[in-house]
Amino acid sequence: MGCASSVPDRTASRGPSSLNPGSEGANDAKNLKVKLVLLGDSGVGKSCIVLRFVRGQFDPTSKVTVGASFLSQTIALQDSTTVKFEIWDTAGQERYAALAPLYYRGAAVAVIVYDITSPESFAKAQYWVKELQKHGSPDIVMALVGNKADLQDRREVPAENGIEYAEKNGMFFIETSAKTADNINQLFEVFFVESIESCCSHMASFPLNMKLVGCVLVDLVAL
Amino acid sequence: MLPKCPIVPRANGYPIVPGACGFPSPMASDSVSPSSSSDSAYDSAAYQNPNPNPNPSDKPINAIDGQLMSSLVLADSTDSVNHEEGPPSSVNEGDIVDANVLASEESDRTVMVEVDVREEEEEEVQRSEAVVVEERETGGGGGEGEVWRVNSELEVDAPDSPNSSGYAGERGTSSASSACGTGEDDICQVRDGDFVNGVVESQAVWIPGKRHVDEDDASMSWRQRKKHFFILSHSGKPIYSRHGDEHKLAGFSATLQAIISFVENGYADEANNGDRVKLVRAGKHQVVFLVKGPIYLVCISCTEEPFESLRGQLELLYGQMILILTKSVNRCFEKNPKFDMTPLLGGTDVVFSSLIHSFNWNPATFLHAYTCLPLAYPTRQAAGAILQDVADSGVLFAILMCKHKVVSLVGAQKASLHPDDMLLLSNFVMTSESFSPICLPRYNPMAFLYAYVHYLDANTYLMLLTTSSDAFYHLKECRLHIEAVLLKSNVLSEVQRSMLDGGMHVEDVPVDPSPRSGSASPHLGQHSPERVREAYTGTGGPCGLWHFMYRSIYLDQYVSSEFSSPIGTPKQQKRLHRAYQKIYASMHDKGFGPHRTQFRRDENYVLLCWVTQDFELYAAFDPLADKALAIRTCNRVCQWVKDVENEIFLLGASPFSWWGKRIEKCFAEWPVGGLIAGHLRL
Repeated sequence: MGCASSVPDRTASRGPSSLNPGSEGANDAKNLKVKLVLLGDSGVGKSCIVLRFVRGQFDPTSKVTVGASFLSQTIALQDSTTVKFEIWDTAGQERYAALAPLYYRGAAVAVIVYDITSPESFAKAQYWVKELQKHGSPDIVMALVGNKADLQDRREVPAENGIEYAEKNGMFFIETSAKTADNINQLFEVFFVESIESCCSHMASFPLNMKLVGCVLVDLVAL
Repeated sequence: MLPKCPIVPRANGYPIVPGACGFPSPMASDSVSPSSSSDSAYDSAAYQNPNPNPNPSDKPINAIDGQLMSSLVLADSTDSVNHEEGPPSSVNEGDIVDANVLASEESDRTVMVEVDVREEEEEEVQRSEAVVVEERETGGGGGEGEVWRVNSELEVDAPDSPNSSGYAGERGTSSASSACGTGEDDICQVRDGDFVNGVVESQAVWIPGKRHVDEDDASMSWRQRKKHFFILSHSGKPIYSRHGDEHKLAGFSATLQAIISFVENGYADEANNGDRVKLVRAGKHQVVFLVKGPIYLVCISCTEEPFESLRGQLELLYGQMILILTKSVNRCFEKNPKFDMTPLLGGTDVVFSSLIHSFNWNPATFLHAYTCLPLAYPTRQAAGAILQDVADSGVLFAILMCKHKVVSLVGAQKASLHPDDMLLLSNFVMTSESFSPICLPRYNPMAFLYAYVHYLDANTYLMLLTTSSDAFYHLKECRLHIEAVLLKSNVLSEVQRSMLDGGMHVEDVPVDPSPRSGSASPHLGQHSPERVREAYTGTGGPCGLWHFMYRSIYLDQYVSSEFSSPIGTPKQQKRLHRAYQKIYASMHDKGFGPHRTQFRRDENYVLLCWVTQDFELYAAFDPLADKALAIRTCNRVCQWVKDVENEIFLLGASPFSWWGKRIEKCFAEWPVGGLIAGHLRL
């Protein structure tokens, strides 16, 4: 599919503690909590990414997000360790830009999404990166996501540009397709592994290369 | 096959031409009368009024009106027995008396601005031929195939073709509309056992979102749309258009702006300062304008809805915009008159289109009242109590709703929520759990509130409004608490049961009223076994009662009966909705009204309205219904509503507790008993 993915040298950019273990006060080795915020231009597919991750669905007619919607997804491992993603899916429209700090404040992870068929959305993504570098938590982990990777023939932002920009800013980079589910789990896997790694770095034997495959999804609705 | 001639002797909704009903002469002064101004403006914008009527029957509009009038006179004469004049001096003494508005309004004809369309006639011929071809292809025509000057009969009766969109789409998906395309299918649908709430069903098939983005004012299909809504800025920049792409409509927007500013400025020299264009009539079309500071709203419609209704719809559209942006958006225009607002409203097409869709089915859009989900009194009390707890902890409003119906509603001290704000808020689309800034235009149009919304199930949602932008986690806690209590006290299951059972069914109207006893009235959801609904299969309720709406003035609430079988299909419901809307406007007409009672018979319904200082009742009967029986039935309906008021209305909830007392008082003074006694002698 031509989906590119690159993980920058973590030691060079940010230490493994970057996911603020304990920032929510409820984290322990068994139950991790990660606040995640999605930012990006309107219509790049933020909600679709979340919906694909949380419910495994894709709705091409999905409604436009207003304000921000809140979703959570808990992933449980066989050893009963859980990682709970608290996901803020923000609206991409200009009128809500001023309200973004409301949602990214205290976030451990920011996923900045652009549409590979739209150079404007890539520019907007860079705006968000700068905004977060200026006003976000200094420990925030950022990921740059080029969505709609299934639309290869309409691609206008080469993967190289994304990789280059991400590397320069110490971000993860991945290209996804919410439509085909391509790389969606991989995207969250990165944070998942990161969070376990950061939280349990003292547990030497923890399997860092664990995959999401075989994970049990629990708690789709309530806390 | 769709009638080709757009002139139908009698419109389906009313045998009345626009201008003869409900909105007569007061508007004559509002219309732009010198045709030179409007003509040139329209022509310059290529706003052609495509006259679809190239055949010899294209008589001058006056002749058509004359024809319509004569048919009206015929209709009236057959019905003359119902035209007893005699307005009661007070409700207490009188009974329901006809105020024959029709006759009095007939003579007053609004001067219409006729847009000269002769130049387009040749083009129209070609188009009509194209239409014929299209109808054959789609097997019956529909929205696309309908001609420009279509009256309401065509509109409601035209079968929807699968590929027709716009209105057709609103009436249902292609599958749904094709299913009700034939009379037989109508009947099938009518007796569908699960058909509990036609409104809900027709909503379910409507998919929100913008259609026809490829169209612009040069597209024939765009010009054939029956109802357009535009929002533009005072510099003529498009902000929103219901059909077509805003950016492509820049020229058209500029024309609308030119018309508005021509009237505002053009006449200023002639000491007509402050004049505003409100309405332009062009054949069957009404162009309604609303100016709100730097924002202009325009509706172009050939749906024959009254001017007041269209204007009210524009007000709501403006309110929806304020809900999204607050009125402080005006400041952007102060800084830069050429400010482009479209990016600020990005993605809100769906909100506006669903509001516009609700103009077709939701009585709240013209009644300015909200409706409650019918619930047993203790159940609603339980819901209110838990919401009150939350309201005391710093939440401004806590609202529990099921679709568009209120389950319970609580406001902080002295805060009250306007029904229009509730309509706009519930129309504002939100996802399963969200936290968004919103503005309540009737509460404070300048400030944002923050709305926490959570869906408890597919239809039931909780809205917590606060002034604090960082209250999300607090509100989430509140919601968890509320949800737990609602589950424990079975409120949610009661809500779901009520959704299935529906509210008041006309079939349940007590046939034999026992005055003041109340025990004879069936409580909702407790249908007595001897009263078998099948007794009225296909005929609605007793005495031909098909439907009613009751609005309590002091409660700001209304209750509407479930749709009975004679109005089982979405298109029948839409027609009734329009009929109510029209009669509501005529009852509240400032020039002739307000009227107290009105009895109106046409080929579709008998409509009976009764307005007092405490309530308004609108009832639709079989067109052959007997007048005396209809009046008697209305009295029974009022009595029934009173008997079950604590199930269908939200009563006594703080801060509205004084309403409860007021209502008690109203009902004590209310002449129902006397009326019933009076009518029993009929």
